[in-house]
Amino acid sequence: MKTLLEVAGLTKRFGGLVAVKDLGFAIRGGEILGLIGPNGSGKSTAMKLIMGIERANAGSVRLAGEEIVSWPTHRIARAGIGLVFQHSRPLHRQTVWENIKLALLPDSLLRLVAGRAVDEHARLIGERVGLGAVLDRHPATLPFADLRRMELAKAIARDPKVVLVDEPFAGLTLGEVENFSALIRSFREEGKAVLLVDHNVKSVAALVDRVLAMYLGERIAEGPAEVVMRDPTVRRVYLGGAIGTHARDIAPEKTGVPLLHVSDLSVLYGKAQALEQVSLEVHEGEFVSVVGLNGAGKTTLFNAISGLVPYRGRINWEGTPLAGRTPGAIARGGIVQCPETRELFGAMSVAENLDLGGQHQKPTERAERLAWLLDLFPILKARRAQMARTLSGGEQQMLAIARALMMNPRLLILDEPTLGLAPVILEQISKALEVLRQATPITVLLGEQNVTFALPHADRVYVLEHARIIWQGPASRFAEEAGAGYL
Amino acid sequence: MLALQILVDGFAISTLYALGAIGFSLIFGVSGVLNLSHGGIMVAAAVAAWFIAGPLGAGQYLGALGGVSIGVVVALVTYGVVVRPIQRSRAIPRDETEIFVLTGTLLWGIMIQEAIAYFFSDSPITVRPLIGGVVDIAGVRTPANEILTAVICWISIGLLWLLVNRTAVGKRLLAASINPRGLTLLGFELSSVYLMVWVIYGVLAAIAGVLLATFLGTSSNNIGVLTASAFSIVVLGGLGSVSGSLIAAYIIGYLETATAYLLTPTLRTIPSLLLLVLVVYVRPQGLLGRR
Amino acid sequence: MRILSALVVLLALATLPFWVSGYILGVLTIAYFFGVFAMSWDLLFGFAGEVNFGPTFLIGLGAYSAGLLDNHGVPVWLCVIAGAVAAVFGGLILAVPALRLRGPYFGLITLVAVLVLQQVIVIFAGVTGGEIGLTINDVLSLDPGYNYWLALGFLLISGIVLTLFSRSAAGLILQASGQDPIEAQVLGFNVVKHKLAAFAISALFSGLAGAMLVFYLGTASVDTVVDISVGVQIIIAAVLGGRRTIFGAVIGALFLIIAGEILRPLGQLSTFVVSAVALGVILFFPDGLVGYLLRRGERA
Repeated sequence: MKTLLEVAGLTKRFGGLVAVKDLGFAIRGGEILGLIGPNGSGKSTAMKLIMGIERANAGSVRLAGEEIVSWPTHRIARAGIGLVFQHSRPLHRQTVWENIKLALLPDSLLRLVAGRAVDEHARLIGERVGLGAVLDRHPATLPFADLRRMELAKAIARDPKVVLVDEPFAGLTLGEVENFSALIRSFREEGKAVLLVDHNVKSVAALVDRVLAMYLGERIAEGPAEVVMRDPTVRRVYLGGAIGTHARDIAPEKTGVPLLHVSDLSVLYGKAQALEQVSLEVHEGEFVSVVGLNGAGKTTLFNAISGLVPYRGRINWEGTPLAGRTPGAIARGGIVQCPETRELFGAMSVAENLDLGGQHQKPTERAERLAWLLDLFPILKARRAQMARTLSGGEQQMLAIARALMMNPRLLILDEPTLGLAPVILEQISKALEVLRQATPITVLLGEQNVTFALPHADRVYVLEHARIIWQGPASRFAEEAGAGYL
Repeated sequence: MLALQILVDGFAISTLYALGAIGFSLIFGVSGVLNLSHGGIMVAAAVAAWFIAGPLGAGQYLGALGGVSIGVVVALVTYGVVVRPIQRSRAIPRDETEIFVLTGTLLWGIMIQEAIAYFFSDSPITVRPLIGGVVDIAGVRTPANEILTAVICWISIGLLWLLVNRTAVGKRLLAASINPRGLTLLGFELSSVYLMVWVIYGVLAAIAGVLLATFLGTSSNNIGVLTASAFSIVVLGGLGSVSGSLIAAYIIGYLETATAYLLTPTLRTIPSLLLLVLVVYVRPQGLLGRR
Repeated sequence: MRILSALVVLLALATLPFWVSGYILGVLTIAYFFGVFAMSWDLLFGFAGEVNFGPTFLIGLGAYSAGLLDNHGVPVWLCVIAGAVAAVFGGLILAVPALRLRGPYFGLITLVAVLVLQQVIVIFAGVTGGEIGLTINDVLSLDPGYNYWLALGFLLISGIVLTLFSRSAAGLILQASGQDPIEAQVLGFNVVKHKLAAFAISALFSGLAGAMLVFYLGTASVDTVVDISVGVQIIIAAVLGGRRTIFGAVIGALFLIIAGEILRPLGQLSTFVVSAVALGVILFFPDGLVGYLLRRGERA
């Protein structure tokens, strides 16, 4: 079959950050290509570039031979590209039927009545995706999977030549995944070209014909799924390298009341189950790693602990429940989170950022702590007066960690500190964590998808997958028991 | 000398505009609110000052102090009764909060206007100048009070700058305008920060209102014009940029003064309006705007 | 069921001139025109998702164009049509650049438009009558009953047209453009084109109503048709009644005008009370009266 979508030299810059660099690939009709990469790899941006939602700085996108890279989104859609977003986007005030009907309408100002044919067509599509029984309901009353079905229905209604699907299976149960895979396979049968964007090769391996792996905006591997999964660059970048056991002193099992005790924690984001009955505990002085891929629920877990999202279940700190405390109070109480997004004050200097972190300490302690941290992270000392947003990614991460440490936390929560950072920076951060562990009685809860970074310092490991804890145990046993099936 | 007259008068008017506009900009930058009852707070402070100074007979100094206090109270009521409930309301979808806040503050501004008109009538009031006498500046006879107005405004602006850039409390305000989530993670309660910024805003708007009363006089009919000119200045300077508001205030203040002297006072708002239209079409983020 | 009760109410309203005073008919006539203003606003806000803070820009354009033309001897019906056309024209000139702006900027431009129109009218006072206003020699009719029916009929027709539009396929596209412009584009719709169309329709009805109002009142002035606070009242009427209901805007308008009249003896406090009530509705019933009732039905 002929090539329907051809991308070459696609580049996108956001200020100083290069989100997509010189990306190129081609998809034929009747083919499914998987575009894989962790958060920050540029895969979602690439998809938006193809659809015209973001404007490319350079490169070309050809649809069935026609250059569309500078076209507006609606024109690209009419030319034959359909997009299914990761998060469902229903029109809340319209019924399912009307939502699907909309996708069948031409872009006309004068059309007053949609017509019987359109109504009927919409109904058929609804039935095809399994929404036949709920056509007259409003999206607010539908379960999560049905909303995803409606997104697919809209794409089917557009009858595009090329379909772009973002994270097709996020939030679905195994049964629903099967259902959706069948629908996506039907696109292939119809001769469409399909681009599946996902952070996890495993979940789409069964469906795709080929995989293209991305990292930091660039393509790092391409080929059949099993080949790419075993590619050494891919493994290093996604996992951080070989999962080896590290000889370490096995700390005695901690007993007594844990410092942090999470029991049966469940979090819903709208309809999606972000966390399901998660339980974990952290004892004073321990280093606990929560390992899991993007979307597994690590950030949700940490946000629940920090009081930033509502939850069901119990979270106890030093024996007493955290429920009802404001996030500010929780942070002052000793649980300090350094989030994935870092949340620095970009327009303020390094020194000012650190100073704000130390506001709750007495001035003398604050000064001492600042001096100690600047020794721990010499590069911050050098850049004290610089504005935070002009720092490199690695320097910003160090600033974020240092700022959190200024608060003298009893429990430091680190969410994906290594995301998008070069290996040499990872070394520095790793060393700093080591010093921290030895010099202070600090307790650390680390969330990472980079297993090689997460293991060396950890006493215990939890594995989080699709909102559930699927394994827990000492770090030494991780490699044998859980490590193998990890990618 | 006409040019010198324009220079001197323009300076005083612009500085007064600047004080009001900076407060307006501050509230937008930190709290995200375009407070359309801004003029109401200013005039409430002015009328309170007049009432305390005149009818209550306490004299203009106590009047000024009282006026500023009342202004702060009105600002806090605006926050607590109108803005905060709308921002926290779960019945209003996120993306419509801004519109509801705009409409709510507009309504509240109308309520303040009508209440003032009802209790104190809508005739213009003035407060006796804080200092009397006339000063001669290179041939231009200027009331000493006019100079004092400019001085007080500049001191207030200077104090604000010191607060935001040199004190711990001020840094928090700055941080809240840059990244509220970051501030929460560092153990601060955003609600206290917002409360503080509304108090500061109240002080700035109230001082501007009281000074306006001593300088030019005002009335409840003026409320809409005051809000309109504050937000014209803020749009010109750039939403969220305090320094932009400062510069824009002088541009608009001088444009108005020059027009009033060189053409006729009735047309004085025209050039600034035209400038505003130009800016909104050509560079909507204003001179130094962030977004 | 709902249609039946609506018809009954309509019938009752239509027979009012036979048993109610001229004064009450006058109040209701104004309320009906106000209802059209509010419905036009709701189309733009409720459906296209754009907040017009200066609906009186469009109304004023319609009113003054019609009034000025009449003073030059143009037949009344032509003036009314010209007023509507002028409003559409002005609306499009405003909307084309304004729609490119995000967030509060669009609202700001609409507000600025009113201020500019006010100044233009005041500056060219020789032609427009400035702040005193324009007097128009022709009126639609001298009989309060006839005027009442004209206004009621106009309200009805406008209501039906706007409601039909909002429920049509084009209306569905417009709602999508307002609720989720990116998704609407991904589905192949040129969002800007549809929003401009919404603006044009809103302008058409606002201008038409403004022009007709001018021939009812016999005068046009900055305070009545190019005023910011009148614009605010229109917004309040639509929000009070319920955004996105079209029909709710009429209820809101009726409430505001009638309440304003009833409270007139309170003097200056009347505006205060109405504003206070409106603020209360915004805080406690943001969906408005009709909106609240309708949503209850939807959730069932």
